[in-house]
Parts: sequence; C-alpha cells; structure tokens
Amino acid sequence: MTLAYRDPSIPDSPPARWDPRWKLAALLVFAVAVAFLRSLPPLGVALGIAVCLLLIARVPIVIILARAGLLLLAVAPFVVVLPIFVENGWPIAVAIALRCLTIGLVSLFLLRTETVADTLAAARSLGVQGTLVMIAQLAYRYALTLFSEARRLRVAMLARGFRVRTTGHAYRSLGHAAGALLVSGGERAERVAAAMRARGFDGTPRALVPFRSRTVDALAFAGIVFVSATLLAWEFAP
Amino acid sequence: MIQVQSLSHRFADGRIALDGVSFAVAAGERVALVGPNGAGKTTLFLRLCGVLGGPRGQATIAGLDPADPGQRRKMPETVGVVFQNPDDQLFSPSIFDDVAFGPLNLGHSPDEVRASVADALNAVGLPDHAERVPHRLSGGEKRRAAIATVLSMKPSVLLLDEPSMFLDPRGRRELIELVRNWTGTILLATHDLEMVLDLCPRVLVLDGGRLAADGPAESLLADATLMETHGLEVPGRLMRR
Repeated sequence: MTLAYRDPSIPDSPPARWDPRWKLAALLVFAVAVAFLRSLPPLGVALGIAVCLLLIARVPIVIILARAGLLLLAVAPFVVVLPIFVENGWPIAVAIALRCLTIGLVSLFLLRTETVADTLAAARSLGVQGTLVMIAQLAYRYALTLFSEARRLRVAMLARGFRVRTTGHAYRSLGHAAGALLVSGGERAERVAAAMRARGFDGTPRALVPFRSRTVDALAFAGIVFVSATLLAWEFAP
Repeated sequence: MIQVQSLSHRFADGRIALDGVSFAVAAGERVALVGPNGAGKTTLFLRLCGVLGGPRGQATIAGLDPADPGQRRKMPETVGVVFQNPDDQLFSPSIFDDVAFGPLNLGHSPDEVRASVADALNAVGLPDHAERVPHRLSGGEKRRAAIATVLSMKPSVLLLDEPSMFLDPRGRRELIELVRNWTGTILLATHDLEMVLDLCPRVLVLDGGRLAADGPAESLLADATLMETHGLEVPGRLMRR
C-alpha cells in the first residue's frame, strides 16, 4: 500500500494536507448526517458547506459546476417524476436533489484532495477489512486497463466498418465485444493472481501506514463532526 | 542453482504442457529458453516458482523444491518472475506500492521496505517514478517497473518471460543493458533471438513440452534445420555471416 504516493494533479491546499484517515472519517460522518436531513434549509446549508470545502481545496469552479450538472442529470428522473405522483412532492424532490448533490460534491472533495490509493489506505487503517480494500484497489487499477481495452476494441470494430445501429448484427457484435472483454478480464485475473503469489502473497493483505496525525487534523475532524451534529439538531430539534 | 529432473506437467483438461524436461543451470549463468507458442515456457516458469503445483523432486532452485509447501513459501525470496505482460504484474495504484508488495509479503520492516524499493527503482533507472500510476507508464517503463517489483525482493534467480514484448527499440536496448548488468542467475524465455545472442551464451529449445536441444547459443541458433523444425528462425545476425 501507499507510503509516498502523491498525485501531482491534486492541487496543494489545506484539505490536501489533511491526514486522509481523519478526512475520510469526517466526510463519512458529514455524508451520513446529510442523508438524514429532510428539511430544505439545513440541506441548503449542507450544500453550501460542501461547496465551501471544494473552494478551500482549490477545485476549479468549472469542475464543480460540471460535476454538479452531472449529479443533477442523474437525479433528474426522480425529481421530475416525484411531484407528478406524490401530492406536495416538490419539496421532497428538491430535498432528494440537494442530498444527492451534497453527498456527490463531498465525494468530489475527497477525490480532488486525496489519491484513491491513500483513501483506500486510510479506509484500511480505519478498520475496513484488508481484503475489501485490496479488491477496491484492484478494481480501480484494472477498470482503467479495461477502458483502454474497450477503446482498442471499439477502434478495431470501427476500422472494419462497424457502426452502432439498431440492428441484430450491431447488437450481436456489441455482445461479442463485451464477451471478449469479460473473458480477457477473467484470464487477466488469473495472471494477476499468479503474479501476486509469485511475490509471496498468501491471501493476507499487508500494508505500511504512512500517515501522521497532527492536532490540526483532529481539529478539522471535530469541526466537521460539530457541523454535522448541528445540522442534525436543526433538523430534529422540537 | 536450478536443477530440473524429468519435470512433467499436465493441465486439468488432460493437456500435457511439459513432458520429462531435464536441465541444470549454474549460479550466475544466463540461459535462454526458446520455442514456439505453446511450447510450455510459461508453464515451466510457473512450476519453477511454485505458482503451479506438481509432484515433489522434479525441480529445485537454490536447494528449494517449489513443489514442497514448506519450501514454496521461501521461493519468492529466491526466484523473481517477470511475467509476459507488465500490466499483470503492476496491479497496485502506484509504482511504489507495486515494488513494495513483495518485501511486505516477506515480512520486512517498513524501513527495509523503503530501502528495497529505492534500490530496485534505482537499479532499473526509474528512481523518480515511485509516485507514478502504472497504467500511465510507457511500455518500456512498465517493463522496467515490473522488473523492479522482483528486484526489490533481492532474488538470486530471475525468470524473465518474453521481456522484450511490447518494447520499442530503445526500450529493448535499455532492457538488454539492465539484464546484462544484473549478476544473478537468469532464465530468459523469449522469441527475440537477437536478444538471446546479446545476453545468453546458452540456449534451451523447448517444443511441445519437451526439451529439444540444449547448447551454445551461437551454434544452436545458427542451425537452420533445428530452428525450422521447432517453429523458429535463424536470427538475421547469424544468417549474414
């Protein structure tokens, strides 16, 4: 696991220097709190906090808006349909949209301030089972390889005159391509397992924990927990 | 260093991959293993490093029998296998993590792991690549990183499976230099017969799971009949002589 990995594409900022364990724990607490909110005012404040975190992390506004747009697009079917079928459904629809948007932007904050490798290492040191972390690592690593293979396959198909049409031939071809990717993925999994065993892997994931906690990390965590508790109190206070 | 005696391997579906292969490799020797596709080269490597099981007593490396469960655990410290496709070997989110994977499995301390990683990356000429993401490396860098993943375990034997595959001429030259400068025992499976001439004084020809020939590289590779019989070609360098 990670000792020194630092992705140069992650801009330096206070949140980027935050110990990933404290950061992950804090964001989980915040996301769970947001998931329990039902009223629009606390949800609006939560969204504002998520945007502030992104701005502090120096995430460009263009990226924030683009990701927010994608999140809204994903949640749009529910937001549009709900008011039609549920009486007084607009506030519920907006609340769902705000919750999704806030949790999505908090995830973006995590992705833009920490590498996947460090986030997974932090999850591991927070007690997430090592095997799950390793599966997530491998999935992340080989998803990228799978995309590359899919792109090559697509080019090979296009080069032989394939065009996506609503015909049986097109669907069959896409099915064959997906099957080929699946089979090659299975074979790759066997080869990766062999490579791991050849380097002494016995099924027990091992890791070095490089993280060092500072007082400011704990204070930032406490701040997020305090904000989360305040939002919940606002929501549920009589 | 490597003793193979009547080594055979049959897959679960009944196919015979290796059939009575015998040879020995001395410490510090560089030996090439050549043969057509499906000759059994990769299977031989997997048997030698203990990834594939089999009957005991058919092979030993540095005195360890890879088929013996007790001794197999010590194999990774002795034998480093570099697989055909570096993407199969670089499975971690960063090069550092990949190179550290083996030493961590061997139970080394964090300081030892850091030192091993630094030494291995220096040895392959990638000292500044620890933080890089494997899938973004070039083919040559991936290959060298894959070699670093086994060098960090300080093995005395390297098994290199098609190391020049996917490499451009520069990457291939760098690989040849790297292998040439490594002082341990090397068994090199390849179709790149020009590289064999550059690196290995001795060649084993494997075909259909059987050892067809074992001898000096220049004389075996220049034997047109032998090469043709086993799906190989005389390297251009020898043809021009």
